[in-house]
Amino acid sequence: MSWQTYVDEHLMCDIDGQGQHLSAAAIVGHDGSVWAQSSSFPQFKPQEITDIMKDFEEPGHLAPTGLHLGGTKYMVIQGEAGAVIRGKKGSGGITIKKTGQALVFGIYEEPVTPGQCNMVVERLGDYLVDQGL
Amino acid sequence: MEAAVIDAGSKLLKAGTAVPDQAPPIIIPTQMKRMLEDGSSTDGSLFEDVNVDPVVRGFIRDWDAMEDLLHYVLYTGLEWEEGNEGQILFTDPLCTPKSVREQLVQLMFETFNVTGFYASEQAVLSLYAVGRISGCTVDIGHGKIDIASVIEGAVQHIASRRFEIGGIDLTKLLAQELGKSNPLVNLNVSDVEIIKEKYSSCAEDELAYEKTQQSSEYEEHTLPDGQVIKVGRERYTVGEALFQPAILGLEAHGIVEQLVRSISTVSSENHRQLLENTVLCGSITSMPGFEDRFQKEASLCSSAIRPSLVKPPEYMPAELTQYSAWVGGAILAKVVFPQNQHVTKGDYDEAGPSVVHRKCF
Repeated sequence: MSWQTYVDEHLMCDIDGQGQHLSAAAIVGHDGSVWAQSSSFPQFKPQEITDIMKDFEEPGHLAPTGLHLGGTKYMVIQGEAGAVIRGKKGSGGITIKKTGQALVFGIYEEPVTPGQCNMVVERLGDYLVDQGL
Repeated sequence: MEAAVIDAGSKLLKAGTAVPDQAPPIIIPTQMKRMLEDGSSTDGSLFEDVNVDPVVRGFIRDWDAMEDLLHYVLYTGLEWEEGNEGQILFTDPLCTPKSVREQLVQLMFETFNVTGFYASEQAVLSLYAVGRISGCTVDIGHGKIDIASVIEGAVQHIASRRFEIGGIDLTKLLAQELGKSNPLVNLNVSDVEIIKEKYSSCAEDELAYEKTQQSSEYEEHTLPDGQVIKVGRERYTVGEALFQPAILGLEAHGIVEQLVRSISTVSSENHRQLLENTVLCGSITSMPGFEDRFQKEASLCSSAIRPSLVKPPEYMPAELTQYSAWVGGAILAKVVFPQNQHVTKGDYDEAGPSVVHRKCF
């Protein structure tokens, strides 16, 4: 299966059969190289990926300044140290799951809930971790 | 069926169905007494030995006792029927370990067979109870003090602090002080708790406190066993200990200073929003003189923006500080469960207990 299929069919999928889905998703390597992304995924800067990786190493690194991606600022909320970073922006937000070699991104807007975004992103992330990726 | 909301504190367990602008129907002591014959426990009265505290310093520690307590609360107190369990919302203190949450969700789905579960931090809920989504809470409980900052419903963990002191330590302090001035009287913990709740008050400021320490006026209190005890300047010591922790033997700042320091780690654009929406929770905050003292200390503290307290809405019951987390839980339950944002049995079966971290925050 190609990485693009992972993004199109597993991240940008229909959530809970209600016709809703994430607004953007991507799978990006730890070095910032894009493995696959959805059409509306924002253009990000390498520095933003470096900051995200640093937050996985030292949780709390991004909290004072906020999480930035493609120029959008997200407020960091409770994640899981070294595994998941969650950010909130108004009624939408972002979930980033770290796997062995990649970062799985999911960006959602209303009416998708943070819990639903987490389930989608983390489920795929856990699968990749099991596959050794 | 309405969802059940449970706020299990170290001293009191508040429970009821989710009806927001009322006091929780069930407020019972969490402490239990172990009965040796059949191994099960009942809630309520405090005896000398074999007391079991399922909740210690805010966290559930004794799972068997907690299971029995919840069984009583849900099936007898809230009149749930076996086989027809509903949805349940729990409140957690700050910094609840992941394993405690996972174990709770496991207990709920596997032993109690609930259809839906949600857990939320008490700080967020106390703010919902006063109609805010951002602000800080100073929650002075029986077993711990949590100072938390919340922005738009999300707790800022780096700007929040938990202290392992609470009402129970203040009771011990009072017992010590009363023991010194009434050496012939035999006191036990429950008597001291009653005295604490009845007499303690807060001096207006440090100077006023010094004056009370030198005065010798006192009131007489009759204990249940007939002994008479004199309560004088000790009554101010309890309130003062919160503002001058040195009295408890701790090298820390008073709670107002701690609040201001915690907030300094958040980006400054949010400081005003946080400090101007400060909520006090916990029965001890309804002690006479406490709020005034808090305001006074706030005007003296080292920050440019002064903490100011939020007034609870008028439709809320008067004693809101004692169970603001429960009321907030009732409000949240009305939003979360109908919108299916909670953990369902299906989610739990598919993903296991760790699903609670993904869906509840």
